[in-house]
Amino acid sequence: MKFGSIYFALLGAATLACGFADLIVTISKDAYSLGIMEFPGEMFRGGWGGLVVIFAGLFYLSGAKNVSEICQLSKVVMGSILIWLIAGCDLLAMITESIPGGEDGWFNTMGGFLGTYAPPYTPAMVLLPFSMVTILYIYKAKGS
Amino acid sequence: MRLTADERWNLIDEISKETVSLGEYNETLRDVLGEVTVKPLTGIPVVIAVLYAFWSVFGSFAGFFTDGFFVKIFDKHWLPWWQSHFPDTWSWLYYIVVGDPMADNCFEAFGMLTSGLFVAIGVVLPAVFIFYLMLTLLEDVGYLPRLAVLMDTVLHKIGLHGYAIVPTILSLGCNVPGVAATRILETRKERFVMMTLLAIFVPCGAQLGIMNDVIPDTMGLVLLYLIAGYLTTGFILNKIIPGKSPEILMDVPPFQKPLLSNLALKIWMRMKGFFTDAIPYVLLGVLVVNVLYLAGFIQWLGSALSPVFVYWFGVPEETAGPLIAAFLRKDLAVAQLSVIEMTWYQMVTAVVLVSIYFPCLATFMMLLKEGRKELLGSLVVLIAVVTIFGGLLHLIGILAGVA
Repeated sequence: MKFGSIYFALLGAATLACGFADLIVTISKDAYSLGIMEFPGEMFRGGWGGLVVIFAGLFYLSGAKNVSEICQLSKVVMGSILIWLIAGCDLLAMITESIPGGEDGWFNTMGGFLGTYAPPYTPAMVLLPFSMVTILYIYKAKGS
Repeated sequence: MRLTADERWNLIDEISKETVSLGEYNETLRDVLGEVTVKPLTGIPVVIAVLYAFWSVFGSFAGFFTDGFFVKIFDKHWLPWWQSHFPDTWSWLYYIVVGDPMADNCFEAFGMLTSGLFVAIGVVLPAVFIFYLMLTLLEDVGYLPRLAVLMDTVLHKIGLHGYAIVPTILSLGCNVPGVAATRILETRKERFVMMTLLAIFVPCGAQLGIMNDVIPDTMGLVLLYLIAGYLTTGFILNKIIPGKSPEILMDVPPFQKPLLSNLALKIWMRMKGFFTDAIPYVLLGVLVVNVLYLAGFIQWLGSALSPVFVYWFGVPEETAGPLIAAFLRKDLAVAQLSVIEMTWYQMVTAVVLVSIYFPCLATFMMLLKEGRKELLGSLVVLIAVVTIFGGLLHLIGILAGVA
């Protein structure tokens, strides 16, 4: 479980950094790209969403120590649930954006449809695969 | 036989000794997660996240159907079809049924079968459906009672208790079931405060849907003003209305997996009300407003109330029309506002005014059913709130240099 503590502490720090970056970019009002990650500069996804990512980071950090304890694990799980909520919403926004066509047609072209799913992604979507490790710990807790 | 308090406690102890067996219980992850969502320190961040997800899904889903498909169907096919097939373009009947013959979109046409149907089916239907789907999910998962526990302290400041969050959230779908749900509150004072706040400050799902479509950038500011009004008016009403606001004990059930059949049944029951109540009211609303326009009544009212609108509220006098439509349907009124030329801050003020001005006809009838005295009291509060709050918004705009 020592690996778990280190892993979730690092994930928490990264999540917290992403959340603060989200807020800073929102204040500056211009979207900012960093590799495959893009911080949206708008109030809803960047501001409100960024705040939720900060909370997720805090949940991870406070639960990282002794993650095998059920109370601590519950905080880590809650951090992951928040990331899943934000990333799920971002993914749904992508899907609903990719299907309808523009002014000319009812449905998007194949190129336009696939293009919507190309990078950059929001911070929560980048953090999503890393947060999945929590599922392993949930199964471990169920087993014990 | 009357027992003293001590005797009663002793009796409880004896009964529990005989009936309750104590053992060791290992907390499961589900139990602990349940506790995390109830404690303020950890529960409030979860509320913020859940509300974010709620509005994000609401916006994505409603935008997908309205902007992605319904706008195209109504603007490119439905409206041109009626404009080319309905006889006698400049007749009064054309004006009522199809609307403005020069309009190229359903927001501007304002005919019964063009804008009326577009607003009801193209904008409001997807918004109301997704709202009820999300609400039912939260309810069936077991999150709503937790929200009630968390909101208890805040709502006590305005003379209500945590369960008042249920009528408030229901009203975000439609004010009618929201007003009906105030019956879960114990005292007359609580019910009066709740009904008044719902009628004035809580926009329905239809209105939210159309706000999301017409003023997406400033919708947050409108909602912020409404929340501020909800809390301050509640605080004042709690101080001036006589009566009690008792404490309650809440039963918080464990989180559970929602059943698909339950979800479908609940959504259907809630949506049925929309089909039978909302659509006829929207069509009736367009009809009445168009007739009043043709009769010159709205123009007359606009100029009669012009000093109040222009100097006190800081909005154009043309907003008189939408305010009349708001009595029938508030979503319709917001749609009407969208075609009036004004600054962004005037639009925010006008939308807030439409929201807090008179409850829609369906809510009005529901309030009447709950008691004439209550309705009259609510209306007095409403007039005071609209006058003060509207002027205050104008003042904020002037001080911020945006009005």
